Amino acid sequence: MLKDKFYKEIPNVIHPKEKLVATHCSYCGMQCGMNLRVDTTKNTIIGVEPRYDWPVTLGKMCPKGVTAYQQTNHDDRLLRPLIRDDASTKGTKEGFREATWDEAYELITRKFKELQTEYGKDSLSVYSGVSMTNEKCYLTGKFARVALQTRYIDYNGRFCMSSAAAGFLRSFGVDRGSTLPWTDIHETDCLFIAGSNTAECHPTSMFRVWEVQSRGGYLIVVDPRETPLARRADIHLDLKPGTDLALANCMVNLLIQNGYADEKFTLAHTNGFEETKELVSQFTPEYTSEITGVAPEKLIRAAEIYGKAPNAIVMFARGIEQQTRGSDNVSAYTNMCLVTGKIGRPKSGVATLTGQGNGQGGREHGQKADALPGYRKITNPKHVQEVCSVWGIEPEEMPLPGVSAYEMFELMHNKTIRALYLLCSNPAVSAPNLNDVKAALKNLDFMVCSDMYLSESAEFADVVLPSVTWSEDEGTVTNLEGRIIKINKAQEPIGESKPDWLIAVELAERMGRGKYFSHLTTAAKVAEEFRLASKGGYADYYGATWDKIEKQNGVFWPCKDENDPGTPYMFLNQQYYHADGKAKICALPYRPPAEEPCEQYPLRLTTGRVVYHYLSGNQTRRISFLHDMCPEPYVEVHPDTAKQYDIVHDELVRLYTRRGEAHFKVKVTEAIRKDTVFVPYHFGHELAVNLLTIPALDPMSRMPEFKACAAELEKTVISKEAVR
Amino acid sequence: MKKLLYIEMDNCIGCRSCLAACTQCGGHDERNRNYVYDVNPLVNRQTIPLMCLHCVNPACARSCPAQAIQITPEGAVLSAMVEKCIGCQNCTIACPYGIPKFDEEQNFMYKCDLCYDRTKEGIPPMCASVCPTNTLQWITEDELEMKQEQHRLGKWMSSHQPFDPLEGETNVKISLPGILQGKQKLF
Repeated sequence: MLKDKFYKEIPNVIHPKEKLVATHCSYCGMQCGMNLRVDTTKNTIIGVEPRYDWPVTLGKMCPKGVTAYQQTNHDDRLLRPLIRDDASTKGTKEGFREATWDEAYELITRKFKELQTEYGKDSLSVYSGVSMTNEKCYLTGKFARVALQTRYIDYNGRFCMSSAAAGFLRSFGVDRGSTLPWTDIHETDCLFIAGSNTAECHPTSMFRVWEVQSRGGYLIVVDPRETPLARRADIHLDLKPGTDLALANCMVNLLIQNGYADEKFTLAHTNGFEETKELVSQFTPEYTSEITGVAPEKLIRAAEIYGKAPNAIVMFARGIEQQTRGSDNVSAYTNMCLVTGKIGRPKSGVATLTGQGNGQGGREHGQKADALPGYRKITNPKHVQEVCSVWGIEPEEMPLPGVSAYEMFELMHNKTIRALYLLCSNPAVSAPNLNDVKAALKNLDFMVCSDMYLSESAEFADVVLPSVTWSEDEGTVTNLEGRIIKINKAQEPIGESKPDWLIAVELAERMGRGKYFSHLTTAAKVAEEFRLASKGGYADYYGATWDKIEKQNGVFWPCKDENDPGTPYMFLNQQYYHADGKAKICALPYRPPAEEPCEQYPLRLTTGRVVYHYLSGNQTRRISFLHDMCPEPYVEVHPDTAKQYDIVHDELVRLYTRRGEAHFKVKVTEAIRKDTVFVPYHFGHELAVNLLTIPALDPMSRMPEFKACAAELEKTVISKEAVR
Repeated sequence: MKKLLYIEMDNCIGCRSCLAACTQCGGHDERNRNYVYDVNPLVNRQTIPLMCLHCVNPACARSCPAQAIQITPEGAVLSAMVEKCIGCQNCTIACPYGIPKFDEEQNFMYKCDLCYDRTKEGIPPMCASVCPTNTLQWITEDELEMKQEQHRLGKWMSSHQPFDPLEGETNVKISLPGILQGKQKLF
């Protein structure tokens, strides 16, 4: 990989009686390089040192990254399995006692077998996550299908990357989050960033973003809030939450109307241009302004800049994806690249800013309800055959497709699903409509939770298994570029905690399925089988050996064999992954969000993130620096709106929707639309804004609409002490 | 070649990674010694870092009755020497930027030492190492000259001084907000 203009040769500081272990951060899709400082007298992680030679992030880290090492030896770590004997305490932290692994495993297998005997194989379910290595993600899919033999498996990426995946699959026939390496970003001429709070959620991208402007390039930002990114944008398109599809259609319309479409390109390499041209023609700046609330002249100027730019990159994130039209939004913004031909070459393309550390890899290898390793489909007999030959089972044994994450909770309500094996996720904070989700968890006959800490979700479990942090295991992760990287072990697991791949193997053995798992005695052995299972799929990792990853500073998939260096740039030959080799320009009619503001609920509630916390906050809320910087959620309100409601900065208000309510402190700021309020979602129990959010799902991706629902707020007379 | 800390105010996103990283420098007792301020919190998200500027003739050291504040040959103004500091807090009052912090329990002042363990070897201080936005940069004098040429901040200032927006001479250099003013666009 070429070294870019920011790269500098800088030595590291190594203190006496310490060593450095080169690895990556545990948190977001940036997967910033870092060195963990290990005390060699105690073999304990004690700090962090920048990894200046990691080509993507060059030693840079956000405050989560700098303090990530504090997770490993944290006082809150679970050191031994916990068992709850009295089910009446479910939903609280109370009632757990420590147990041995043998007792915990015995109880789990006995319960699982009883339930499967009485209610069938599919009465069990697995709900997993993608903040873990590819090896773990792969094995979790195999564990559900082969060890538990259930159809019901899905994962928290459903609330994160599922719309990006569905949209890219439709547009390109392949879902790799970025068509180009991150080291191209600062060299483009125009960044068009929609629904991404990049400065807070992917901070280490920011030096490249600012460099575009320092070079005289343009930054266009689409966001209802004036985020730290939008603050410096050349154009800030401050749209109403949930109206992206209209805005994207307007951009495409203006690009075509003003002669920026590359008709030679669209003819040769795409389908759907004419149909889309027809559909978007109604999205004039004026009409679009009525829907989105963005001034027509800003829309015109934005399209002009993107159209004129010699090179441009369209980027987006959960802002556009966590909507009932999320996959449509992805395809619609991608249309901008396809109509103008600004794709399939360096410095131009499209990228989604992947949320979770392994949000890319974790969605490719069989944790999705309908997916198998290598991004294969469980509904495709050929794909099933290919995976069965690696797993050693008969195709008839492969379970049917399951249902999406939120739909699993619905099946828990009606007792179709009676037991849950939860790992690497905290849906009691991160799922929408939490009152219903918590009731569903309580309704289970039996629940197991594997976690490093006693999360809000673990409070609903009968058995809690102590898993390891990222720094106590090794494996690969695929970052937001599609680059497969290596996570290295810096310390032995503390207490009796175990990596999730090992727990899966040991449970499989006790479920009588050991012959399919017992050979997987190390993470490296899981990696070997996983690469083989991905071979021939379009997310082909077969050639991405750990050796090659270390040597090359990562390997971009697809990487088909030993001699293949990988694929940093997608579509350089203008070959897309649909059968005819063409990309699809999609004609997508606009629909408003599932719930529009009304007289009773006149405000638009949108949710998101702060720089100090990651996902449900189960990890970051425990880190003292991060907790001190953002100890509790708040509701952002425009000063005019605050005046209208007779509320002031720091006052506690009751925010409510048709589904629930919560009390938040008001943060008055002009950096938000007057018709919109915002709450960060990283907090649990009574502080969870997901008590209020709507479980309306995107029909393609099954992504819930976290980004837009109707809400109302009122002054409250309840004292702060009474609430907290 | 001599390197120095350079602060490009406009780039700050308020992530406070510099504060977290400050605790990671070997000699810092896991306490941070720098600041990030919200410029206009009820209006927008603009923030600026405030680091010790390592004045050439520092008010903190001048005000110290015990000569506890040493200046290294490279110009780093160090924390008060524990054995000399009498805890009078003159320095905390004297510093025009409010940099020195005071440990009430142990009765001594501590402040940014420009990660002297690192910077004396030419390795960037922790804050500039991690800064995700290049608000804090560790650059050569040549690079500084190029920056000053590009930004030409003097022309926006009544004083028409070419660059230095500060009163006294400092070893840390800063840009005033406005680095994109007058920027020639690519197209």
